[in-house]
Amino acid sequence: MPYIEVQDLQKHFIVRKKREKGRLLREKTRIQALQGVSFTVEKGELVGYIGPNGAGKSTTVKILSGILTPDGGEARVGGMVPWKERRQHVRRIGVVFGQRSQLWWDVPLLDSYSLLKDIYRVPDEAYRRRLADLTDALDLGDLLRTPLRLLSLGQRMRAELCGSLLHGPELLFLDEPTIGLDAVSKLALRDFLRRENEQNGTTILLTTHDMEDIAALCPRVMVLGHGKKLYDGALPELLSRYDTRRVITVRYGEGEELPPLPPGCAVEREGENMKITYEQKDLPTAELIARLQSAGPIRELTVQPQNVDHLIAAMYREMNL
Amino acid sequence: MDTLKLYVKSMGMLLKSQLQYPASFCLQTLAQIVMEAGELMAVLLLIDRFDSLNQWSGGDLLFFFGLMSVTFYLTECFGRGITGNFGNFVRTGQLDTFLLRPRGVLTQVLCSAMDPRRFGCIAVGVAALILGCRQSQVQWTAWKALAFAESVFLGVWLILGLFLIEAVFCIHSVKSVELVNAITYGGRSACEYPIDVYPRPLRILFTVVAPFALTLHVPAAYILDKPMYGWPAWTAFATPLAGAALFAVMYTVFQYAMRFYRSTGS
Repeated sequence: MPYIEVQDLQKHFIVRKKREKGRLLREKTRIQALQGVSFTVEKGELVGYIGPNGAGKSTTVKILSGILTPDGGEARVGGMVPWKERRQHVRRIGVVFGQRSQLWWDVPLLDSYSLLKDIYRVPDEAYRRRLADLTDALDLGDLLRTPLRLLSLGQRMRAELCGSLLHGPELLFLDEPTIGLDAVSKLALRDFLRRENEQNGTTILLTTHDMEDIAALCPRVMVLGHGKKLYDGALPELLSRYDTRRVITVRYGEGEELPPLPPGCAVEREGENMKITYEQKDLPTAELIARLQSAGPIRELTVQPQNVDHLIAAMYREMNL
Repeated sequence: MDTLKLYVKSMGMLLKSQLQYPASFCLQTLAQIVMEAGELMAVLLLIDRFDSLNQWSGGDLLFFFGLMSVTFYLTECFGRGITGNFGNFVRTGQLDTFLLRPRGVLTQVLCSAMDPRRFGCIAVGVAALILGCRQSQVQWTAWKALAFAESVFLGVWLILGLFLIEAVFCIHSVKSVELVNAITYGGRSACEYPIDVYPRPLRILFTVVAPFALTLHVPAAYILDKPMYGWPAWTAFATPLAGAALFAVMYTVFQYAMRFYRSTGS
């Protein structure tokens, strides 16, 4: 039996608009946040969950963590229905919201952790071991006596992660964990998550807008849009469907002009560099390079694949999101 | 027991974090003392002018005032999560964080805030109590001490229960409702004076709806040896239970309302 089982999950919200002039009642709009989402996740998987803003990612996470009750459909996590057995359920999960803190603002981290230990009723011995392990892995040793408010964003995210893992959850939800972090912090965070997943077998569900996170971490990705699941599988496979365009940048020795190019190629000039964007299926790369060479001696030439963000944007466009 | 331990530990931590800003803390406590002392002055002026109100002497009035102050500000100090911050918890999504932990929501709300500045107000209330006892020459007995302790303790739960009404509205409209303030803060101001000085509608409001009279005034009158409405002594121990009853009812309503909670976006 899969660890997480979601069947036809539905949730709507009623949003009241501002009252218009001359109307007695405020207009209400019904927003279908989830319209029948189904998936399963095995224990120990690391799954990326992506989609544009408002696609229903957070709603799914909130339902699976027991905060919200769905309107229809079923969900089971490790045999429990999250919103019905909230207290038993949340004991086994950890949740990190990128923009929301669960630690106390004005007190040293160690005090926050000690309070979390009491809230989760973690035995002394297990707590000591776990804390030592986490502070080591997250490099928090020097920060334990610092109040949260004095930490940088990257440090704070590490502190939050430590807090959400102290009770040794089987399942970790991460909502945009790398938002606003610098490159070094992002890399360190990804390493840590991979380690947590491999060593402790923690199942991780990660929502993010950062495609690098997904590419680096998640063998499997689910795409959500307008409350429906649009894709479920490996990231490279998903990208290959949209990865059709290439960009060549070329620079000639003595300011030669470009040779005539077939229609469908877009040319952009940046000083001496000329950037040509083309569809691979219409114009094979080898043929284009041959043509470019015929115009004169080339000093420099680079071929770039499209950036992942562009691919995702193209995908959202195509799926009408 | 475990929950109580968690609460005490949380309070210790919150106190520590408040004392991170000592200057601000001192100034605000001072401001609170001045404010509450102003209210006390109003009572003193009234006593100076009229000597007595119905059957109540000046000392008695001070005692009623002190009992209300101590009870109300103890609640605001230790129940700050319910009396002051609940609306913010809903708006900022902090309530989601509480739902993610294996403890009751209300326990965590209570554990998440305290307001030690109110100690100033409590001190003023205690001063009024002492002054009132002196002037009215209260003869303390073990029974009276028990009645006093019960009254304050259950009074705190009563006030928490009243603030829970506001919390329930918050869960639904994500906005606090000023109307409820009429019986919380309004109740405090009105019931600084004994209930029998008021006209009938107000007496009903503060006896049946928000039973300040039952929880605070009946035992106070017993302690002052002037039983309210001539009721027998045992009522001084029985009627304060109305406070606990109100809290129990509101607690149930609150738990029911939480089932319809919809969190804010992230």
